Amino acid sequence: MIGRWQRCVRLNQPLLTKPFFVFASLAALAFILGLFREFTGLGYVTGLNDGYTWGLFKNWNVTALTALGSGGYAVAILTWLFNQRKFHPIMRTALLTSFLGYGTGMIALGFDVGRPWNFLHFNNPRNWNPHSVLMEVAICMTAYVIFALDVENMPPFLERLYKSPDPKKSVLAMRIFYAIRGTFPFFVALAFLLPSMHQSSLGGLMFLAGSRVHPLWQTPRIPLLYLLMAYILGLACVLMVLLLSSMVWNLGWDLDVLEQLTKLMGRITVVWIAVQFADLAYRGVLHQAFTFDYFSCWFLAETMLLLVPALLLWFKPLRTEPGTLFLLTFLLSLGGVIYRFTPTTIAFFPLGNYKYFPSITEILMSIGFTSFAITLFLIAVKRFAILPAPAGKITPDAAVGPFDAM
Amino acid sequence: MDVDRRDILKGLIGGSAIAAVVASAIPAAVKEPDAIPAVPDAVGLLYDATVCIGCRACMPACQNANGLTPDRGGSGGLYMQPDTLNAHTKNLIKLYTAPDGHEKSFMKQQCMHCIDPACVSGCPMNALHKEPHGVVGWNPTLCIGCRYCQVACPFNIPKFEWDKVNPKIVKCELCRHIVGKTDTQPACTKVCPTHAVVYGKRTDLLAEAHRRIEANPDKYFENRVYGEFEAGGTQCLILSHVDFARLGLPALGNESPPAQVRRVSEFIYRGFLTPIVLYGGLAGVMHYRWKHHLIHSETSDHREGDPHPPQETNP
Repeated sequence: MIGRWQRCVRLNQPLLTKPFFVFASLAALAFILGLFREFTGLGYVTGLNDGYTWGLFKNWNVTALTALGSGGYAVAILTWLFNQRKFHPIMRTALLTSFLGYGTGMIALGFDVGRPWNFLHFNNPRNWNPHSVLMEVAICMTAYVIFALDVENMPPFLERLYKSPDPKKSVLAMRIFYAIRGTFPFFVALAFLLPSMHQSSLGGLMFLAGSRVHPLWQTPRIPLLYLLMAYILGLACVLMVLLLSSMVWNLGWDLDVLEQLTKLMGRITVVWIAVQFADLAYRGVLHQAFTFDYFSCWFLAETMLLLVPALLLWFKPLRTEPGTLFLLTFLLSLGGVIYRFTPTTIAFFPLGNYKYFPSITEILMSIGFTSFAITLFLIAVKRFAILPAPAGKITPDAAVGPFDAM
Repeated sequence: MDVDRRDILKGLIGGSAIAAVVASAIPAAVKEPDAIPAVPDAVGLLYDATVCIGCRACMPACQNANGLTPDRGGSGGLYMQPDTLNAHTKNLIKLYTAPDGHEKSFMKQQCMHCIDPACVSGCPMNALHKEPHGVVGWNPTLCIGCRYCQVACPFNIPKFEWDKVNPKIVKCELCRHIVGKTDTQPACTKVCPTHAVVYGKRTDLLAEAHRRIEANPDKYFENRVYGEFEAGGTQCLILSHVDFARLGLPALGNESPPAQVRRVSEFIYRGFLTPIVLYGGLAGVMHYRWKHHLIHSETSDHREGDPHPPQETNP
């Protein structure tokens, strides 16, 4: 069904379905294993070692999932800065994926760090190392989740409060709305600035490793590549979530919105590849991409996974067929996620006889924390007006009045 | 539409102008020197592979001085036999043998105590820090166990206690709990029978290394000291008759990795000016957009000129 998405609606469907239980159990298992890890040590649950000290938790749950969770950042730029009002109905979906991506990433990080109790000292800014890129990432991410994403994700909650039969709650919702209405744009501006800083710095992290990362990936321009990749993956994630939700819950296809997001994602990807190759040529290591050794093959596979879908998405018929669109977006985001993995694993020189492959418990925990995000997503879309719906599907549960504007 | 654009521009320029004024009030003295010199009283070690007899006396001495349990892995549990630096080993003597068997050299592997260390630069909480004499120390009360030091170290020195609930970062701290307190030098130099490894001020050690090179012109590899310039200079220096790369010492540029990071950061952040100006501009645009959005949302739906305006239908 083709139709323009008008407003966000609450899905009036039972929450306790089979997929919900599957995701919830996987999430529960991750927390049980996490508890086990707290009593044993990282070596017992992960495949990490002194050569490869950063593994699945940091690469998938933090680096990749926050990039996939940059949807709220990327779509907000379109909606607000470029004044594309038609993206407004998908803002809530995008912001929710961001919140869940960052939130579960931080949970995984809590299990990944060896001495989490020392986070207490994080509260004293005198302990912050101003030269540490990791500290910048930590501060920016925390600030983004607390000050920007929390505020941006408030409207669905306020709305539910507002619609409550208890008049006191409605009044409270309006009071909160009027309290934050004046400062809201300053929080949103923060939501543009902070991800720009920490998504680029995630790449900057690996720059300190210098010669330990293969020259095909190690570059002073790595912050720029990581930032652009955050836009690509953020848009890809929002697209996939919308496509899947539409398929599962029959919300219709707003081809206008989907097509524009895809077009943008494809073009940024082409720009990304151009920047990457220009950088390789500038540094004089372009020939290393075509030596067809282990690193070269990996690099070319990664580039192809990005380039082929990006070029195919240039053709309109492929952009307007939901199944193909999903497949191509999935392949493209796979390439992007692999790019975010590579500098700490594949292209990383451990300087010694070290091998790393994530252990089963590590994989289960990683999947579990991701499932936790999906579980929360299922709860959210069935309790709050999050997902966009076309005109014919707007029910009394839909987003209303003042909160719809946020 | 034209008015619309002009207003945005006004917002953007206004916001940026305010931000620029604010930013310029912050002292611009944040620019850093690219290279950090060694502190005048920096101490370190000089290891001469041509003098080392491979007795490994320094290894148990290090274990005892630092209260480490011996790693018996390589010997099947009989005696201390680590094959790499690990959570039980801060100091290791390795033997390099060339494939043809003719060229041999011992190598002492341990923290190089860089002048501008990547681990210290990367450590978010200042757990790894420079001690008064330039020794790289680790502070257990600040370390969060993020292991960025392990990723950052160009020599792959810091090790992590993977099997502990309360894991520590294990690396040579040049016996800073002993030197100047109960002893005058670290455990490894104290026991070394041939003085293959000696402790002293970096300037003295460097002078001694060059004296040895001059006294024996073609004895040492490339007639140079490893660590004099590598990665911005290290406080532990190495002399060898074998190619350093074969001893596991990476070929590093003369600019320290942290200096390279600072250069890129400074280019992007301009002493934090970029984020402030950017935020000013963004806040300006957002303020404008938000004002119009509120008016707009009260009068119509999101899409102007939509042929099918939304209708609330009760199922």
